[in-house]
Amino acid sequence: MRYDIILTTEMLEHQSTQDVLEIAKEIVNQNKVLTTELLYNVAKRKLHIPRKGLLNIIQTLLNRKILVEGSKYTRDTVMVNPYRRMIYDFIKENVGSHFSLIKNDVDFSEGGTIASSGRLIWHLEMLLKFNLIKKVKIKNYTLFLPIEVSEEEGIFHFILRDEINIKIMRKMVVSKSIRGADIYKEINEKRELVYYRVKNLIELDLLLNEGANNENIIINPKKYDFITRILTKL
Amino acid sequence: MKKLTLYWNSEVIIDFMFGLAALISGIITLVKPNTKNIRSLQFIRISIFFGSLSIFLDGISLLYLNVPISIIESFCTIPLALSMIIGVNYIIKENYTSLGLIITFGLGILIFYVGFQPGAVEIVFQNGYFRTAWIGLFSYLNLLNYLIIFAYIFYWGIKTVKNAPFLIKKEAIIFFIGITIYSPIASLFYILYLFDPFFILLSSVSGIIGLLIFALSITLEPKLLYILPFTIYRIIVKDRKGYPLFDFDWSKSEVNENIFTGFLNAVQLMSDEIVNMGGLLDINLKDGILILHESKNITVGLATSKSSTLLRDSVRKFTSDFETKFQKKLKESCHDMKEYKSAYELIEKHFSNFPSRLVPNKSHPLLLSNTLLKLPQHLEKDIQNIISDEQDYNFIKSEIFKSPEGSAAGFLSLYHEIKEELEKREKESKEENIDME
Repeated sequence: MRYDIILTTEMLEHQSTQDVLEIAKEIVNQNKVLTTELLYNVAKRKLHIPRKGLLNIIQTLLNRKILVEGSKYTRDTVMVNPYRRMIYDFIKENVGSHFSLIKNDVDFSEGGTIASSGRLIWHLEMLLKFNLIKKVKIKNYTLFLPIEVSEEEGIFHFILRDEINIKIMRKMVVSKSIRGADIYKEINEKRELVYYRVKNLIELDLLLNEGANNENIIINPKKYDFITRILTKL
Repeated sequence: MKKLTLYWNSEVIIDFMFGLAALISGIITLVKPNTKNIRSLQFIRISIFFGSLSIFLDGISLLYLNVPISIIESFCTIPLALSMIIGVNYIIKENYTSLGLIITFGLGILIFYVGFQPGAVEIVFQNGYFRTAWIGLFSYLNLLNYLIIFAYIFYWGIKTVKNAPFLIKKEAIIFFIGITIYSPIASLFYILYLFDPFFILLSSVSGIIGLLIFALSITLEPKLLYILPFTIYRIIVKDRKGYPLFDFDWSKSEVNENIFTGFLNAVQLMSDEIVNMGGLLDINLKDGILILHESKNITVGLATSKSSTLLRDSVRKFTSDFETKFQKKLKESCHDMKEYKSAYELIEKHFSNFPSRLVPNKSHPLLLSNTLLKLPQHLEKDIQNIISDEQDYNFIKSEIFKSPEGSAAGFLSLYHEIKEELEKREKESKEENIDME
């Protein structure tokens, strides 16, 4: 049997090539790590094809991308995928991003052609799996943060995506203590919008009630430095 | 008429066997490779034939105790050395010149001059028989010439074994063993010959063994003759509208995918200028070279680690053959890549001297392509339920096999978590709208 001109279409459909492929499938189905060495040894034992012919068949399967490089991902190689890298970079640059924000950005970058939700979630899962990012839940939002950013900082960044929240926090830093009922006047916003947000900020322990009837609002002194640091960055 | 006396001895017989081994090796290098018109290989072949001629002449000079033939034998080693150096230079840098070539050329002139001086070759009694022997300066100059040849051959052997892909590594090691016996070991015996003439026999025997092993390795794998010390990564064929028609990978590309396709597109935009320039363009990038060729119906891009005349020629011929082979399909503006699959035969024809390096070693993990991979039934069903797009499904499936255990389950759970969250937010938003109304 001649194996010299193996790269022809006919050779790919050749029985020996198909037999080698079947053996490769069996190895994968047995949950063993498929390597050239293992495939060669098993195929040699079972099919008795001459060494060079068998190597040519394996080479053909590689050239035709029927057998592909299959190393398990590592923390470094998982980032080789440019789409995944782009998502990671976005999360790093936009701390406290949630799914919809990421999807919008990726859709925009890729012209809306690649970013299917399923694929995007898969990439997020891979970034989570390799401890490159972490997630934190706040109300109805799952936030994705770079692994080195604390949950508290991530949540605060998320809150500060809202313009009114930024106004409230900036006012609080400057004024130290404000009567709760007056905050909306101080920042020139609608009362109901401000009331709801102040309530949220108190729940998150960023603001505290103070005074006899809890009528004044102050920044949580324990978090003052942290809040001012992030506000200055904005 | 004077009757010629034949002085048969062991050295004559060994010389003829040695010459025959060299001749066989030369013929094998001529017959075996599929791609014959590679310049480096042509020079190495010339060198082997001069080597064979030189050894036969040595045998004849010993057989007839003929001094002029011994001098001609020495002169034959000059083109032997020069063609070997040029051949190796072509392998390493696709250029014939080097300092070694100039030195050897000078040495050749010196050998030629000294060879005509009286007393350069004499008939002496060595090893128990009369033989022709190079004497004094002529002997030392020839020794130096041989050492240069051996050094270049050995360097070629090292480069070949180092760059051989793992699928032909076994043959490359046999090749290297042959080269090692032929060059450093034989040259060591040749040096020892200066102290004891007996070692000339051992040097020739080493040469025979080395050459036979060399010939065997080339018979097993002719590609060993033209393993070049650079890597080609990928070739892409696009039609004039930018549709990809064919691609082929030899190894993982160092050249960024976006840059590669970006340049291909850019070249297509300025195609008329390129075609007027001969259709061929080299673009130097940080991580490699892009050789782009534009023809009537297609643009071919080749990413490689180094530019080379050989590669440019191969790209030009590949492009021309591609145009001819798929003329009908190209005229019909067929964009289906399946229709161009048989272009693999053109890869084999024009790039057979570039082995694939997609898998770096024999224990490197492999996977079956997406279409052949099978997920466990329950997982396959769950993922198919949420991913309807076939391309996305295949992508995720292939990634699952490369990911740590539990990634698929993690993905399903994250998918449902985000889906639920989006639904809740949508519901809340609707409720808020109703309240406001």
